[in-house]
Amino acid sequence: MKRRARLVLAAVATLALVPGLGAAVAQLPRFGAHPLPYGEAINRVAPVERHVTNMVTAVNFDYRGLDTVGEEFMLLTAVTGALVLLRGRRGESVTDSAAEAPGRPIPQRSPALRLLCRCFAPVLLLFGLYVVLHAQLTPGGGFQGGAIIGSGTLLIYLGEDYRIWRRHMRAHLFDAMEAVGALLFLGAGIAPMIAGASFLQNILPLGRTGSLISGGLILIANAGVALAVTGGFVLLLLEFLEETRAAEPEDEA
Amino acid sequence: MTALLVLSLLLAAASGAGVVLTREPRRQALAIAFNGLVLGLLFMSLQAPDVAYSEIAVGTAAVPLMIFGVLVSLKTDRPKK
Repeated sequence: MKRRARLVLAAVATLALVPGLGAAVAQLPRFGAHPLPYGEAINRVAPVERHVTNMVTAVNFDYRGLDTVGEEFMLLTAVTGALVLLRGRRGESVTDSAAEAPGRPIPQRSPALRLLCRCFAPVLLLFGLYVVLHAQLTPGGGFQGGAIIGSGTLLIYLGEDYRIWRRHMRAHLFDAMEAVGALLFLGAGIAPMIAGASFLQNILPLGRTGSLISGGLILIANAGVALAVTGGFVLLLLEFLEETRAAEPEDEA
Repeated sequence: MTALLVLSLLLAAASGAGVVLTREPRRQALAIAFNGLVLGLLFMSLQAPDVAYSEIAVGTAAVPLMIFGVLVSLKTDRPKK
């Protein structure tokens, strides 16, 4: 299509859409003043019914836990797909050296960067673990904590180098974490059915509100998601960084 | 709307436009990381800390790294003779 024809088409489409958009925007509730019947109901019942203080976790892993099961397996499928595509080229073999562009040697990491990364990496990983363990109490949860831990491992790559990062990141460990996490979450859904309740029904003792061990089944579902997200994240990062390694003779072109 | 919200929304608009207007891929990866950080702060000021955590971990660390990985791969991967 010619540029002129495209411009005319875009102008006509804009003119046709603007009245509808304007009408929709005019009907929006005022900023911050939208009605939240579901949110208010959850805020009222969840602390009593589930002994948790983070309502987002109560919704994600209990009241609408089925949706999260779907999301979990969507993530698993996405990670598996990306891994199959990326590993297809070089398999699971591991090498020690990063690729170099011609005429551009890889610079040594500076001592300042090393020091910063060595100080921050353990703190960041610990913080990720904290976010995972306090899912039912404070903001955050399995997904957030897993994402923090997963991207926190990047500090190992940033502060050391490709060789050390690759030596410490064992793909098989994270493969297992991803799979066990997804299975644990599914198991948390199916186990209540074996006991005669419905899928993901919270039949475990709920514990004392505000305790690290409270929320019943939410804890197990959260642990499953944390494992799967950490595994999935690290695997994705690992495979993307593997793209930057030196080519081996046996790699397929 | 508080001043903090106005500021974060303006910053989000500015950094988002920055991502689009940056044409060099390496700088664009850094621009998108900054945009992720700003969005994280915006979510935080909208009282959605759960989303802010995810946005900062995914938007400022994982996504830029994937872009950098692809860029390195394009530079170093040459067809065999």
